[in-house]
Amino acid sequence: MNKKQIKKTPLHDWHLEHGANMAVFGGYEMPLWYLSGAKREHLAVLTGAGMFDTSHMAVIMVEGPDALTLLQACFTKDLDACIGKDKTPLVPGRCAYGAFLDDMGHVRDDSVVSQVTPEIYMIVVNAGMGEQIARHLKDQAGGSNVEIHDLTDGVGKIDIQGPMSARILAGIIREPELVFDRMVYFSFKGFFDDDSPLADAVRLSDGTPVMLSRTGYTGEFGFEIFMSPYHIEHVWKMALEAGKDFGFVTCGLAARDSLRAGAVLPLSHQDIGPWPFINNPWSFALPFNDDRTDFTKKFMGDDALKKIKEPEYTYPFTGFDLRKVSPGDSTVVTDPDGAKIGIVLTCVTDMAIGRVKERIYSIASPDKPDEFNPKGLSCGFVRVTRKLSVGDTVELKDGRRTIKVVIVDDIRPARTARRAIKNML
Amino acid sequence: MKEIEELFLPDNVRYAESHEWTRDDGANITIGINDYAQDQLGDIVFVELPDVGDTFEKGEDFGTLESVKSVSEIYMPVSGEIIAINKALEETPELVNEEPYNNGWIIEVKPNDPDEINTLMDSSEYLKMLKGEE
Repeated sequence: MNKKQIKKTPLHDWHLEHGANMAVFGGYEMPLWYLSGAKREHLAVLTGAGMFDTSHMAVIMVEGPDALTLLQACFTKDLDACIGKDKTPLVPGRCAYGAFLDDMGHVRDDSVVSQVTPEIYMIVVNAGMGEQIARHLKDQAGGSNVEIHDLTDGVGKIDIQGPMSARILAGIIREPELVFDRMVYFSFKGFFDDDSPLADAVRLSDGTPVMLSRTGYTGEFGFEIFMSPYHIEHVWKMALEAGKDFGFVTCGLAARDSLRAGAVLPLSHQDIGPWPFINNPWSFALPFNDDRTDFTKKFMGDDALKKIKEPEYTYPFTGFDLRKVSPGDSTVVTDPDGAKIGIVLTCVTDMAIGRVKERIYSIASPDKPDEFNPKGLSCGFVRVTRKLSVGDTVELKDGRRTIKVVIVDDIRPARTARRAIKNML
Repeated sequence: MKEIEELFLPDNVRYAESHEWTRDDGANITIGINDYAQDQLGDIVFVELPDVGDTFEKGEDFGTLESVKSVSEIYMPVSGEIIAINKALEETPELVNEEPYNNGWIIEVKPNDPDEINTLMDSSEYLKMLKGEE
């Protein structure tokens, strides 16, 4: 990619003025970390709150009487059966996570779909993916009654994540008690377009309409805030001011990556990608029936997922100290006998966790030992050709070192994403 | 990220192309990584050190610096034998970021050729190289 094509978010100058180390991600020059460093940023999201510029992500609007039918045919999650234990249909103000697959069952991209009205859906996809996913949806829509608009670079987004997020936001929004009332995980209120009937539901103290969504990519309690790109710098500064007594810091992509890996969230095109979207930790995004023998709906890629001849398995792992391997073509997963069984997708250090005897604690664990001061543990995802069980040990080997890791079903304990909002105010 | 003008590049050390610094302490040479390298790497969370008595040729990697984001080799700016390692880095690797030229030193080396250090760059030559890189 030549330099001219690299995009900038509206906060680019602010990042540079505040000492960010920048790197290109998804076609955008983005902050990796600020002056205080990625470790402090990671820890702040567990103990206070952190703010991320996520304007590189793309928004697509799908609108019309056939919008739901189109999404049901293209998106892995069954939007007619996705809310709560009883699997009730998606309703206005609620969101669902899933993936868009091709007909081989491979991942085009993952996404959060939010229902604005029964005929209007907002889709958030990864940086640089707006055009491609919008084109795919248009192709699939054919002559049906639905309009698809790629709003890439037309919507600004800030994520405020961490246990203090709601208290900080309360300082910059109108009627916070009303806004936060019964705001459950994976729900949203308001909209970023002043013409929307929802716009009055959430306004900042200066009147700016925003869409406030209780979602994120850290595993911690927090929000994604969508707004017009014109307002973003102002909102960013306002939030920083409101958060100055709450351990609030700006965070870059390095902390975002280590936080999401510790929360067992996949990075699209790295942990999920051009291979079948099944046998991974994210099967909740597939429309399995209760006994997992079939899917509850037809969708693109479903047949391929049902007919896999040589399955591969993606598992989370946790190491025994903070040392990492570098994922790459020459980095392999071996079984205790030294046989190669797979590859490393992600390997990062979650700096907030450590082992004490047989258990892993986080600095946020309520029952952590006295004077717990973890150095961090390596963690991430492997994709292997053999079925493994939680507790199995494998070795990860790159050109530099070999590390022993354990297959797990979860990584960082005591995460806050799903806490009741009334306990976080 | 520090602008080149903001980098601290003291005159009492010499610089390798791979961003280590070396200080001639008479019989021995102290080695660390410079301000540019620590700024690029970000938070150092682990330092893998060689053993005292190990010998390395110039350009060989003698250890690794693990940052939050990546793992990087550290290279010998001169050939020689390791006579001391900075044990403080085992507990406080962040010294490499905080005081790269002082308490964040990494190894002390007995050089095979005491004059080899003079083949390395001085601060103005190193600065010129960095500007060429940008």
